Amino acid sequence: MTDGGSTVPDGGSESGNESATPSGESAVPDGEPLLSVDGVHSYYGDSHILEGVDLEVHEGEVVALIGRNGVGKTTTLRSILQLTPPREGSVTFRGEELVGLDTHEVAQRGVGWVPEERRIFAQLSVAENVRAAVPESEDVDAGLERAFDRFPDLRERRAADAGDLSGGQQQMLAVARGLVGGNDLLLVDEPSEGLAPMIVDAVAEALADAAREATILLVEQNLPLALDLADRFYVVDHGTVVDTGDADAVDADSERLRRYLSA
Amino acid sequence: MSTLATLPTLLFLDTLFEFLRPSTLAGVAVEGLSLAALYVMITAGLSLIFGLMGVLNFAHGAVTMLGAYLGGLVTVLLVGGATGDPVRFLAFFVATLVAFGALAALGGGMEIALVRPIYDRPPLYQILLTFGVTLILEELARIVLLFYGIQPISDWQDALATRPAVLGEGLGVAGVAVDGLELFQILFGILTVVGVWAFLTRTRYGLYVRAGSEDDEMLAALGVDVRQVFTVVFALGTGVAGAAGVLLAWDPSWAASVPLAAETLLPAFVVVIVGGLGTFRGTVAAALLVGVTDAIMKWWFQNYVEFTGLPEITVFLVLVIMLIVRPQGLYGVSEVGGH
Repeated sequence: MTDGGSTVPDGGSESGNESATPSGESAVPDGEPLLSVDGVHSYYGDSHILEGVDLEVHEGEVVALIGRNGVGKTTTLRSILQLTPPREGSVTFRGEELVGLDTHEVAQRGVGWVPEERRIFAQLSVAENVRAAVPESEDVDAGLERAFDRFPDLRERRAADAGDLSGGQQQMLAVARGLVGGNDLLLVDEPSEGLAPMIVDAVAEALADAAREATILLVEQNLPLALDLADRFYVVDHGTVVDTGDADAVDADSERLRRYLSA
Repeated sequence: MSTLATLPTLLFLDTLFEFLRPSTLAGVAVEGLSLAALYVMITAGLSLIFGLMGVLNFAHGAVTMLGAYLGGLVTVLLVGGATGDPVRFLAFFVATLVAFGALAALGGGMEIALVRPIYDRPPLYQILLTFGVTLILEELARIVLLFYGIQPISDWQDALATRPAVLGEGLGVAGVAVDGLELFQILFGILTVVGVWAFLTRTRYGLYVRAGSEDDEMLAALGVDVRQVFTVVFALGTGVAGAAGVLLAWDPSWAASVPLAAETLLPAFVVVIVGGLGTFRGTVAAALLVGVTDAIMKWWFQNYVEFTGLPEITVFLVLVIMLIVRPQGLYGVSEVGGH
């Protein structure tokens, strides 16, 4: 889903990241990655959730993080944002170390989050949800207008309480909020969860649009959707990356993926 | 026998007719509004702090008490031997600004130094900590007051004496006799509500406060320094509590004294719980409900039961009824704050 100027080569040789590519055929682009996660170990209390996650995301890519429930995909996104700070390992964004920063400092560097279950501010209006995401250095009204230009449906409901929106509209709002402020990287967690198939199509379209202006790391259980949107994928199992490759090289019911994704 | 049995009924009906007279109703309404104004000022900060941060600040009453003494001190110093009401009003507004600023600084410092390190601990830690701060502030106040020869447990008469004469008089407003102090308190309460409302709905920080009250983690992920917002809100909340204290220093029913800390903390908690934890709209509605109920029951206790020692019990009755009928309060949400 990269645009015409994609840096992702077809087929491709592995470039680094050997430890995370047991099945080979990864098409990691050359050059400095936008985001690099190296040997990250994260915990919830005493529970060891991430056991050395390695992955790279390059500018302009959509990279899918796939795997069963509870294997550490959401925790990987939370560790990048420093919401669940890693105890070991490194997370760099544009070459700058994120471990040790506060979450708001990570966000201020251009990392947006579209979380699982959307987490919109239900008692605030649609416009206020977007306003809350506009950086202090930017003009609030200009940021608001840009978001509404991108998602015209939201403009019509700008004064409504965000909690009164449909699930699809709430997801649009969450994506709009994640893009506000010109974020370079969008961490998107389960965008199709709980949505009707028709709405999922609209959300996929919105994410494809978003991919034109931001790099996306996508966590998604809906495998056809994930592979359709993504340029590359990483499979996560038991807190570590067990496979990676080019999204075009696999299909959703291939044996290669099913062995990691079936319950 | 039957005549004797009808006497209480007649007395009740007679009192009821007296209560329903327009002038009586208006008088009770004004008293209820003035109590509501005091409650909303005492409670606004507590509600903001709990709504955003999930911290039950047991030191809130002690801050109000300090505000009463600090405001009282400023008015005593500024009024001096002057007798004119304009000077006294001016002194009051200066005292309010000083108390607001000083106690906002105290609150901000308290949040950074004491509360911030224990956000991730269970709520009991915050309750014990802020309760401990209350004890320290009360003891410090006692020490300072005794050093200057002021009785800590008695109302501070010097501060009460700086009240403008017009606030001690009955004023005729639209044919209703209204106490000047009550009118002043209502005006001050309206100003507080408008000020806090404007802060919450018209400023970027207010937006952060409302968003953070729903989901502070999400707010941080949008690039907002939530810890800074916490500090600002804690400072604002304690500042408003201090300003409320200045107003209480002029009210003979409250007045500056060390026990004022507990006297204000209890009704403040009642109003916060009745309104719904962490909602300012609920706080205003609950202050009106509790204030007007309090005023009505006071009138009935004075004119029918002829016993004035128990009207405060109605405040807590409102709390008990609310907890049984609608535990989440008037405008409560199922969950607030949270870290």
